[in-house]
Amino acid sequence: MLGYNVKIALKSLRRNPILTSLLIGAIALGICVSTTFIALRHLFEKDPLPGKSQTLFYVRLDNWDPQRAYVAEDPKSLPSQVTYRDAMALMKSGIATQQTPTYKTRLFVHPDPKVSRPFSENIRLAYRDFFTMFNVPFQYGGAWDKAADAKPEQVIVLDQTMNQKLFGGANSIGRTVRLGERNYKVVGVIGDWRPAVKFYDMTQSVTAEFEHVFMPFNFTRPLELTPSGNSDGWKGPDGDSYDSFLNSEVVWMQFWAELPTAEKQAAYRQYVDNYVRDQKKLGRFQRPLHNEVTSIPDLMKELNAVPPAVKSMSIVSMLFLVVCSLNLVGLLLGKFLARIPEVSVRRALGASRLQVFWQHVVECELVGIAGGAIGLLLSMGILRLIGKFAHQQAPELVRLDGEMVLISIFLSLVAGLLAGLYPSWRVCSVAPAMQLKVQ
Amino acid sequence: MPIGPILRAMQHNRTRFALIILEIAITLAIVTNAVNMILDERTKMQKQSGFDDENLLFVGAQPFAPEFKEQTYVEKIVHADLRALESIPGVKAASATYFLPWQGGGSSGVWKTAGYPDKFQAQRYPATQNIFNVLGVHLVQGRGFTENDTPADPNTSTTVTVISRALAKKLWGDANPIGRVITDGEGDTPRTVIGVIDQFYNPYAWNIHEYVLFTPGRAYDSNGQPYLIRVEPGAMKSVVSQLEPRLVQVNSGRVFRLLTIAEVKDGFFASGKLVIRAMTAVIVVLVFVTALGILGITSLSVAERTKQIGTRRALGATKGDILKHVLAENWIVTTIGLILGVIATYALNYALVANVTDTKMPWYLVGVGMVLLWLNGLVATIPPALRAARVAPAIATRSV
Repeated sequence: MLGYNVKIALKSLRRNPILTSLLIGAIALGICVSTTFIALRHLFEKDPLPGKSQTLFYVRLDNWDPQRAYVAEDPKSLPSQVTYRDAMALMKSGIATQQTPTYKTRLFVHPDPKVSRPFSENIRLAYRDFFTMFNVPFQYGGAWDKAADAKPEQVIVLDQTMNQKLFGGANSIGRTVRLGERNYKVVGVIGDWRPAVKFYDMTQSVTAEFEHVFMPFNFTRPLELTPSGNSDGWKGPDGDSYDSFLNSEVVWMQFWAELPTAEKQAAYRQYVDNYVRDQKKLGRFQRPLHNEVTSIPDLMKELNAVPPAVKSMSIVSMLFLVVCSLNLVGLLLGKFLARIPEVSVRRALGASRLQVFWQHVVECELVGIAGGAIGLLLSMGILRLIGKFAHQQAPELVRLDGEMVLISIFLSLVAGLLAGLYPSWRVCSVAPAMQLKVQ
Repeated sequence: MPIGPILRAMQHNRTRFALIILEIAITLAIVTNAVNMILDERTKMQKQSGFDDENLLFVGAQPFAPEFKEQTYVEKIVHADLRALESIPGVKAASATYFLPWQGGGSSGVWKTAGYPDKFQAQRYPATQNIFNVLGVHLVQGRGFTENDTPADPNTSTTVTVISRALAKKLWGDANPIGRVITDGEGDTPRTVIGVIDQFYNPYAWNIHEYVLFTPGRAYDSNGQPYLIRVEPGAMKSVVSQLEPRLVQVNSGRVFRLLTIAEVKDGFFASGKLVIRAMTAVIVVLVFVTALGILGITSLSVAERTKQIGTRRALGATKGDILKHVLAENWIVTTIGLILGVIATYALNYALVANVTDTKMPWYLVGVGMVLLWLNGLVATIPPALRAARVAPAIATRSV
């Protein structure tokens, strides 16, 4: 029966090619615009670590100025990062199964002089847990071990881009790279790791470039490293020494903890609050007690990972699809009603209402599928264009993933169905004899 | 023209007219909100920094040579660099500062002063004396920096500052700002205001775009020594080509990064431009689609009524009467659609403002949108209306 309906529908669509292309064009336009903007939004909302992101928590403490909140106009706001001393204290909780403070700094990379001149590079400092917590895949080798964290050993992890630049993409495990004034042994090369959002550090642009070199966090103090990301302070360090910077109220690092169970999460929140209460006794943290331990999905929502413009455009684009569908209703209505004489003959010859109805719905769905396919292709092209100049980190990420293709097909089917329901109902409710009589 | 019969006739075709009404309402909502977003982005883009943006150039010099550990050596190199930069033909002035206009941020602090009740936040940039020449801003009161303002030892803090007029106004209203003292948030490191510049605008995360303190001295940064340079109009290309060789002559143990402020500004507005383009495309396509929709639906409804129209013509209605009838129908439908559209516009604007940081809808935009869509509807109705008017009275005598 379906095959027969499709056959009739195709025949009817072929009869008036101009009208048919208008119908398909209307759906295609609507699907193209809506898919493009929903895909953009989806890109920023997508869970970067499915199944795990709910157990990874970002820690923030309100160590700000007693007289003004972090964002003066919003008394509930708190610093987006933590101080070095608080990060060190959080490391001692013993509750998190994995944890790391992390930040980026700038160092000179001195490649083989035959390869290139020295260049300065953003380097991310972290404990080894960073790689296991965030499921970072490795092409060669792996993360450094706990001993390297503690000592710290002069080891680094590169990503594919940097491995390509320094070693031509070869397996570089065991080779050395000069950073600043020391040589570091490569222990791992990160494989294909491209979350669309730089979720592990959303303090700057969420589409910012990922760092290409990682080194053990404990080099911070011996190398007297300073952040190349944001650092904010409501009061400066007490002295000029590096230690006074580390002991200051300046926030400049992100802190992550893995808390797999609800008990651990509760215990951890308790620990954080107790730590701050203790610090209050020392005269720090003079604002009301306010700490946040936030999971990745909540953090992405809170920090508004989706750019406002993308959000507005996704809303507008859905309305656009509605307008296209309304047009479709009008056109289909005209097309179907013009066919009433023919339909009433079929009805008189024994076709049931339902049969007529289905025949027309199938025709609408064919239009929906054809328009959806064209819209999908168009939207892929547009997304590629947008990716080229709007996403620094990875333009190839701005595309339709499997989920989006499904959503888009679903949208075109729904649009075809909704637009077709009323005209199909109108045409099938024709009384068989009426039309014959008039004729 | 009698409206009654037209309305009664329209009741036979309720669905179609309802479709057009909905379409027009949504179109008005989208178009006005999209235009609002475009205008919003444009206002941000048209903001003037007050500087000679087109002729500014930023150079970062990052040392890797070990001799840069010596502070006295760095001091010497900065002087040599500035001399070398200003000797390049086409360079007007150069200053050692990490102030980089239009990067969407910078450095700021919290300050205090007598006469202003709260602590206040403002941007702050150390810069060598030529900075105001470099930016191309004018001192409206007091003086700029001189050699004597910079302490010999870079570790002692400076004692003077030049602020923006907007900051002076915020702090002390119309009173004379010269000679007033600004301290840091703790009440330490007092600095006397010696000058006021007329303009300053550098977009910042907080609403302190127009508030700045410039302090004398070399702005050292762990990433090396940045310079801001102003060139003669049209000299940018030749200056850029000569810059690096000149600085390498001073010391080759460094890497250099060159950025024109025009590039930085383009980068800052890239997403805004994308919004404008996308929204413009949406508006154009949507208005076109809506016009086609009105055209299509009206054509169908005219085609179906050919016989009735013929009958009316045969009973004495003129071509003009038929034309007026179809146009009046459209006028009624469009007007209802636009009235509903105003409600939809504000509903959508409300949704956008609630979800997204966006601006409120100005009423005149809705007015302009209504007039344009009304005309759009009229234009789309003219072809089917003319076709209706051309229906021959003889049609009425034929059976089907």
